[in-house]
Amino acid sequence: MNGRAKSLFDSLQAAWLLLVLALLYIPMISVALASLSNTRYMLFPHRTWTTDAYADALASYTTGTLHLTSFRIAVLVMVLSVVLASFGALAFARFDWRGRRAFQRFLLLPLFFPQPVLGLALLVYFTALGITPSWQTAAFAHLVWIVPVVTLVISIRLYNYDVMQEDAAFDLGATRLQVLREVTLPALAPGIVSGALFAFLLSWSNLPLSVFTSGADTTLPEWLYSRTATNYSPMVPAIAVIATAVSALVVGAAAVGLSLARGRGGAKTAA
Amino acid sequence: MGTILSTRAVSKRFGDVIALDDVSLEIREGEFFTIVGPSGSGKSTLLRILAGLETPAAGRVRLRDTDITDVPANRRPTCMVFQNLALFSHRTVGENIEFSQKMKGVPPHERREHALDMMRIVRLPESYYGRRVTHCSGGEQQRVALARALASDPEILFFDEPLSSIDYRLRKILEVEMKDLHRRTGKTFVYITHSLEEAMVMSDRIAIMKAGRIVQTGTPTDIYYRPANRFVAEFMGEVNVFELANGQIAELGIAAPTGATGYLAVRPEFLRKLNDGERADVRFPATVANDYMLGSRTHYHLDTGKRILVAEVAAGQAAEIIVGAKAEWGFDLSDAALLDE
Repeated sequence: MNGRAKSLFDSLQAAWLLLVLALLYIPMISVALASLSNTRYMLFPHRTWTTDAYADALASYTTGTLHLTSFRIAVLVMVLSVVLASFGALAFARFDWRGRRAFQRFLLLPLFFPQPVLGLALLVYFTALGITPSWQTAAFAHLVWIVPVVTLVISIRLYNYDVMQEDAAFDLGATRLQVLREVTLPALAPGIVSGALFAFLLSWSNLPLSVFTSGADTTLPEWLYSRTATNYSPMVPAIAVIATAVSALVVGAAAVGLSLARGRGGAKTAA
Repeated sequence: MGTILSTRAVSKRFGDVIALDDVSLEIREGEFFTIVGPSGSGKSTLLRILAGLETPAAGRVRLRDTDITDVPANRRPTCMVFQNLALFSHRTVGENIEFSQKMKGVPPHERREHALDMMRIVRLPESYYGRRVTHCSGGEQQRVALARALASDPEILFFDEPLSSIDYRLRKILEVEMKDLHRRTGKTFVYITHSLEEAMVMSDRIAIMKAGRIVQTGTPTDIYYRPANRFVAEFMGEVNVFELANGQIAELGIAAPTGATGYLAVRPEFLRKLNDGERADVRFPATVANDYMLGSRTHYHLDTGKRILVAEVAAGQAAEIIVGAKAEWGFDLSDAALLDE
């Protein structure tokens, strides 16, 4: 009886999990299905199943430009935000300076600000300074919003970091550079990897900031949004699928790189 | 024994707080030197200055005949065992111990041999070499920290209260091991603690700090029986302090030694119950108010009617002392210390 109740519970739990996963993935699968049509309206089931949209997308010059623009912004944002956030997180972990708590709050404030308003404010600001909006200003706008997120991510990983380890290493004869390489960076590494992923993905998928600040350059989400609103064709879901694949590739590559780095560390430990 | 490490008029302040005020001390070659003081007395700051992790605002630090005030920690022949041990948490026991040699570029197999030697010295089993430090117990981590410090072959080892977070039984074992390690290595140990007991058990000499200054330096016996002032006397364990006023021992109403002013300090073990006809320099009647069994000895609180005094009696001699009984008690002036302040 007890065993049967348990197995019933187990199957209910499995069903629930499947339901959650299905709800998460059905919209994405629908987009993928929509890309396999050749009509300008979403009809289902398709009268003809075709991959023409993909052929068009790959042949189109726009596809490459969109990806390149978004990729350039995302990589720039990733690199800069990781550098800035690492120093910020270390300042929180290592020093107890006056106004530390207040600064921590202020740093997170942009997160609470509605992104379209932030984007508009930044556009006004760029115009006042006489800067022509382009993909670079969009990257700047992304940084304003993403650096706090990444600082938070890295700070959390540094929460249990014992800064005395740096004193100990220095006292044991390490140079400042050796302390950085042997103690500080290994402690930061997990936070840096997750922070970098966050930064890339948040920038890659950002619409509200890019709309206002990218000027004549168009990012992927901007193009997808405008072509969904007007002038829809199956090329829109096709490009969305391609963009998803690209970001999945980036995340996958990062995961492989990370496990390789871990493997090397492990080998060193065993030697 | 020559002087290995000395400071002259070292001062340090953090904002408005004076951490160290004109501290001069001399540590002798090969001794176990302990700096004792309550928290906030500046002892940790002093140790960090001696180790080169902090620079003094004024004053000089010398290693034998060389001024090392401006030499940073990584170029001093000294090493510190930190209060929280500061082990490299993402590394193994072996990697922790080998760290200093790795920084010097010693090849791996030599480092390993050396690390295993160090582990033998601190009595860590060889099998711990590949274990992560986070998987070691508190006592084992303590030994790893010791071995890591010893592996850099320092002339002086500093200890920043490494036993403070360890439970009583293990601390007693480690205190004995520490003293034994000092004897076997022959290195100079400079230890700081807020525990008088720890200091007395291990040290050759003790310096007592209060509010950024050194109040007294001496052997444990010196400091225990001949304290420089009330602070030291009271800090170094239970003591009965009498004020001397108008040629009298106040509160007892007994004539003070001629010409003496200030305070008279008597350790509990020197107060004794007087038998009929037994003489003592100072004698007074008192009622036994309470007894506190401490194992090998018992503490009694004596009520003289004006204040409570503490007397200590060895276990074998406690039989005739009864709580509530009134008797004559006393002590000899040769067992008491005269204090100016």
